[in-house]
Amino acid sequence: MHSNVFLKTRGLKKESYFIIILAMLFFVGLNPLLAQSKPDPKALIKQVDDLSDFSGKDFSAVFTIVTQKPGEKDSVTQARIFRRDLKKQFVILILLPEVNKGQGYLREDDNVWFYDPTSRKFSHSSMKENLQNTKAKNSDFTLSTFAEDYTVTKMTDGMVGKFPVWILDLKAKTNEVAYDRVVLYIRKDRTMLLKREDYSVNGRLMRTTAYPKYVELEGRLLPSQILIVDEVNKGEKSQITMAEQSVSPLPDRVFTKAFLEQVSR
Amino acid sequence: MNVVLLRIAARNLMRQRKRTMLLAGAIAFGIMIVTIINGFAGSFVKNISDNFSYLMGGHVFVSGSEYTPSGKRISIIRDDSVIMQALEDSGQKWVSLQKTSQTIATLIFEGKSMQQTLTGIDLSHSGMIKERLALVDGNWDNISWPNAIIISQSIAKKLNVLPGDVLVAQLQTITGQNNVGEFRVAAITIDSSFVGSMMTYVQLEYLNSLIGLGKNEYMSLGIMLERLEKSGPFANALYTSMKGMGLNLFDRSTKKEDGSMTPFQAMLLEQKTEQWTGTKYRLYTIDDVLAQAQQIVVALDTGSTVVLIVLFAIVMIGISNTFRMAMYERIREIGTMRAIGVQRNEIRSMFLYEALLLALAGAIAGIILALIAMGLLTFISFDPLSPVFLILKRGHFSFYVPPLRAIGNILLIAVLTLVAVYAPANAAAKLPPAEALRTVK
Repeated sequence: MHSNVFLKTRGLKKESYFIIILAMLFFVGLNPLLAQSKPDPKALIKQVDDLSDFSGKDFSAVFTIVTQKPGEKDSVTQARIFRRDLKKQFVILILLPEVNKGQGYLREDDNVWFYDPTSRKFSHSSMKENLQNTKAKNSDFTLSTFAEDYTVTKMTDGMVGKFPVWILDLKAKTNEVAYDRVVLYIRKDRTMLLKREDYSVNGRLMRTTAYPKYVELEGRLLPSQILIVDEVNKGEKSQITMAEQSVSPLPDRVFTKAFLEQVSR
Repeated sequence: MNVVLLRIAARNLMRQRKRTMLLAGAIAFGIMIVTIINGFAGSFVKNISDNFSYLMGGHVFVSGSEYTPSGKRISIIRDDSVIMQALEDSGQKWVSLQKTSQTIATLIFEGKSMQQTLTGIDLSHSGMIKERLALVDGNWDNISWPNAIIISQSIAKKLNVLPGDVLVAQLQTITGQNNVGEFRVAAITIDSSFVGSMMTYVQLEYLNSLIGLGKNEYMSLGIMLERLEKSGPFANALYTSMKGMGLNLFDRSTKKEDGSMTPFQAMLLEQKTEQWTGTKYRLYTIDDVLAQAQQIVVALDTGSTVVLIVLFAIVMIGISNTFRMAMYERIREIGTMRAIGVQRNEIRSMFLYEALLLALAGAIAGIILALIAMGLLTFISFDPLSPVFLILKRGHFSFYVPPLRAIGNILLIAVLTLVAVYAPANAAAKLPPAEALRTVK
C-alpha cells in the first residue's frame, strides 16, 4: 500500500514538473509578444509632452476657469494665452474678472513676471504659482516636460472610466520640480492623458487633474476641458475650458513687457 | 551785559502785559508744535526698532545664502560652528541666540484657510517665547509636541481652531517643491500687538523637515543684545571676527554713490546679482533694515524746521511791527534817556534785550506746553491690531526730544526775534534826542 502511494506520488510529481516546464516555455515564447504591446514608458511620456509642444509655431487660446470653494460664490477667471514654445515664452492676459482685467504674466526663459496695471509695476512670479485665485498653476498652460523632469518608477495598467490606461508612476529627477511624484493615467489605444495625480514631497496627494475632453489642432490632441481638484483644501476645484485655440503666427512684440503695459491701458 | 538795561527791558515788557502775552504766546505755540514733532520723530525709530526686534527675534542677524547646482539661490546656514566661534572671538556680550527658519504657508482647517508666515524656532528651549507671549488657551507643556504650533487669538478665530486641533499646512520647500504638513495647535496667544498677532511659531526641526532643511540647519541666526544701541558696535566686531575666520561675507559698507540706496539695500542687490560658490553670509542689524525709517525721521525733522521757520516768519513780522509801534509810543522816553546821557548803542541794546527776553519766555513756555501736551498724548491707547502699533510704544505714543535739538530751537527763535527787532531798535537808537523830545503823540 505504501509503495503504491509512493509510486503514485512520484507519478504526480513528474506530471507537475511537466506542467511547470510547459507553462514556462509558453510564457517565454509569449514574452516578445507581451513586450511588444507594453510601450516604452519613457517614450510614452515623451509622446504626452509632444502633444502640448507647438515648437516652431505660435499658439494662442482663451481659457475660462470656474473655481469653486466651499462657502464662497463660484469665481470665473478668463485669460488669453499666447505661447511660443521654441523660445520658452508665454503671455497670460487676464480678461475676467473685471477687477483684475489687464493683469498679466510674461515668461522669458526661466523668469516669470506679473504685471499689475494699477501700480504699473512688474513683480517676480513663478511657474509654480497659482493663476490668480484658481487651482491652476501657471505651468498648467505651458508645454509639459515630464520626460525631462521625471523618471518612470513603475508602469501598470488599469481603467479610467471605460478606458484601459497605462498608469505611470513618475519620480522627480531633481528637487526643483513642483511635485516630487506624479502619477499619469494614459489611454492605451491612443496617447491621451486622462488623469494626473500630483503628490507632495512627503507623499501626500495634493491635486488630481482630469482631462475629460480633447480637441484636435494641427493633428495634435489638446485637452479642451480640464478639471483640477484640490485634495488638501477639500471641496476646492477649478474647471478649465479652452476656446478660440489657434496656431496662427503672433507678432514678436506680444512677448514683451511693453505689450502687457499697452494692452492694459 | 548791562544789568540796568536788562531791568529796564524787563520792566518795559511788563508795562504792556497783554501785548507781551500775545507775542510770547505766538512764539510758545510755534515752539510747542515743533517740539512735539521733534519728540515724535525722536522716538519713532526706537519704537519701530524695538517692535521689529520683537518680530524678528534679535538685534543683530546672520543669514546664509548659497546656490543649488541648478543655479537657484537658497537661504541656509548648514554648519554654524564657525559662526559660534566667531561670536566667542568677537569679545562681545549677548543676551540670547535664536536659530530660525521661515516659510509662508497656507493653513487649512475644516474648509477655512489663510496664508501665514511660519517661524520655526526651538520652542522647548526658547526663553523668548515664554517671556513675551501670554497664553489665552492651551498650555506651555504642549509646546514640546514635535509638530506644535503657537498661533495668535485672531488667527485661531479666523480658522476656528482650539488647542489640540490639527491644522494642515500647504507650503513649498526651499527649492520650490510643494509639500504638506500637519501642525497641532499647542497654544493660543493673546493679541498683545499688531506684531504679535502676525506671528505663528512652530518647531524648527519639524518645519525644517517640511521645507527640505536638515535637522541642524536653519536660515537665520538672531542675536538679542542688552540694548538696541549696542547693535552697531556688536555687528562691526562680529563682522571683523567672521572675516578673520575666513568666512565669505557680503560687504556691510557698500553704498550706491548717488545715495539712492542704503548699505543694506546695496547688500540685498549684491546678493541678487552676484554669483558665488559655497555659503555666503549676510550680517545686518535692525538699524540696517530700518535705514529707511531713519530717512523718515530726517524728513520729519526737516519738516518741523520748515514749519518753525514759516511760523516764525509770520510771528516775526508781528513782533517787528509791535516793536516799531513801541518805539513810537516811547519816543519821548527815548529822547529823555538820550538827553540824560544814554548812548545810542544802549538804546539799541535795550530794545534787543526786550526782544531776547520775549523770545526766551515764549520758547520756555512753549517747551513746557509741549511737555504737557506730549504727556497727555501718551494716555491715548491704540488698538493693538492697528498697523499704527508698529510706531508706538506698547500701544501708546511715546516722545523723545533730543536736548540739543530743543536748545537749537530756542537759539533759532532768539536769533530770529533779534533779527526782527533789529530794525526798529536801530531806528530808536538813531533818533536825535531833541527831535524825540519835541515829538507830541
